[in-house]
Amino acid sequence: MNLYEFCNIIIVWLVDLVNNLWYWLGDFLPWVFGDFFTGVGDLAASDGHIAVMTILLEVLVVLIVAIVNVLNFIWLDRKLSGRIFDFYGPYYVGYRIGGWLQNIADGMKLFVKEIITPRDADRLGFILAPVIFVSSSFLILATIPLSPRFGIATNIDGAFVPAGALFAFAAFSIAPFSILLAGWSSNNKYTLIGGMRSAAQMMSYEIPLLLAVASVFLLAGDFGFVGIVEAQADIWFAIPLFIGFIVFLVCMAAEVEVTPFDLPEAEAELVEGWTTEYCGMRFGFFMMTSYLRGYAGGALATALFLGGWNGPAIIPDEIWFLIKAYIVFVIIEWMRWSLPRVRVDQILNLGWKRLLPLAMVNLLIAAGLKTLGWF
Amino acid sequence: MTWELLVFVFLAACALVSALMVIHSREIMHSVIALATCFVSVACLYVMLNAEFVAIVQILVYVGAVVVVILFGIMLTKREIMESERR
Repeated sequence: MNLYEFCNIIIVWLVDLVNNLWYWLGDFLPWVFGDFFTGVGDLAASDGHIAVMTILLEVLVVLIVAIVNVLNFIWLDRKLSGRIFDFYGPYYVGYRIGGWLQNIADGMKLFVKEIITPRDADRLGFILAPVIFVSSSFLILATIPLSPRFGIATNIDGAFVPAGALFAFAAFSIAPFSILLAGWSSNNKYTLIGGMRSAAQMMSYEIPLLLAVASVFLLAGDFGFVGIVEAQADIWFAIPLFIGFIVFLVCMAAEVEVTPFDLPEAEAELVEGWTTEYCGMRFGFFMMTSYLRGYAGGALATALFLGGWNGPAIIPDEIWFLIKAYIVFVIIEWMRWSLPRVRVDQILNLGWKRLLPLAMVNLLIAAGLKTLGWF
Repeated sequence: MTWELLVFVFLAACALVSALMVIHSREIMHSVIALATCFVSVACLYVMLNAEFVAIVQILVYVGAVVVVILFGIMLTKREIMESERR
């Protein structure tokens, strides 16, 4: 039973439950009123309505799973950074579960703060930038299935969309646009410098990232997540394509702007980078979305290099996927809190002179393995 | 009128109106936003034609490259907002 069938059962049950009321009203009320409620019941029981509601419920389920994971990731990040810097991290709010509720308290605090638009800001861009950033980042999660039965990006037959993995990277590549838009429209020199740095960094690290991913596509012979993961049933792609895996992790850290590459929001140089002028829940959305992109990065690394949901059948597939994604996230966080920041004059050198040739070598290795017929 | 035609008309209108906004708006950054909207609408039209791959590449290449357009827009044009005090 996949997610669609599960949601379909729930929706059919709910529609039956509510239709009892409509048909009872239709019988109870005279003439036109009765016909009206009977018509509402018929409309609610029609195939199209049930399909639309099923898809909405599916989206809701996937969204809730993603948001709970993002909350876990924020908590894990704060806890790990605390341990690495020798303090406790979040502790008092919900101390029986290790301070997990601190995120929710912070979210509620951000939610009730005033949202200020600076007087000289460009209003259209200032308001639109968080919207584009958040929606394009949530779009990534729509494409990533946790297992063949748990995902929403399916076509009408129930099979997954043919180029799902490529679509995830297309959604990834929208973010620099919104970041530069936010930096420009805030009308502040720090945000503009942050936005410019972010654009330069993301554009240049996207090329080695996509080359590393291209080698995976080459070995798997498929653009979809299911095909890629099934191609890793014997051996994970992280083993033959070890260079590509390292390049992917570094580039993903640069894409989600964690510390060795957090030049766009370098606190010591630019006040808060491109988010300086944002406050209240808009800043909260930016913050949450950056962790959400971290989760998406971990999930993509899992699906493309670490065998996805393959694993001994003692644990369900979805849990295997999440375990691997959490491990990748912990490695990125470890890197984040241990390494010093890359200087602004070194960042493009690292991207273009080190990572790009490594990604090329990796693509060559993948092409060689494919030609030898090992995959 | 079927739903498919309705969606097509909506997307085509989005593409046309945003393409007009590219040349008509006074602020260059608003032109860039309209340009990105136009590209995304065209990508949605490709999805309606069952050409998912072309749609994905459209987003990956064009919407990604809009950033470069913004960079040139910031570098090569004069900015009115910074200078006027009363806005």
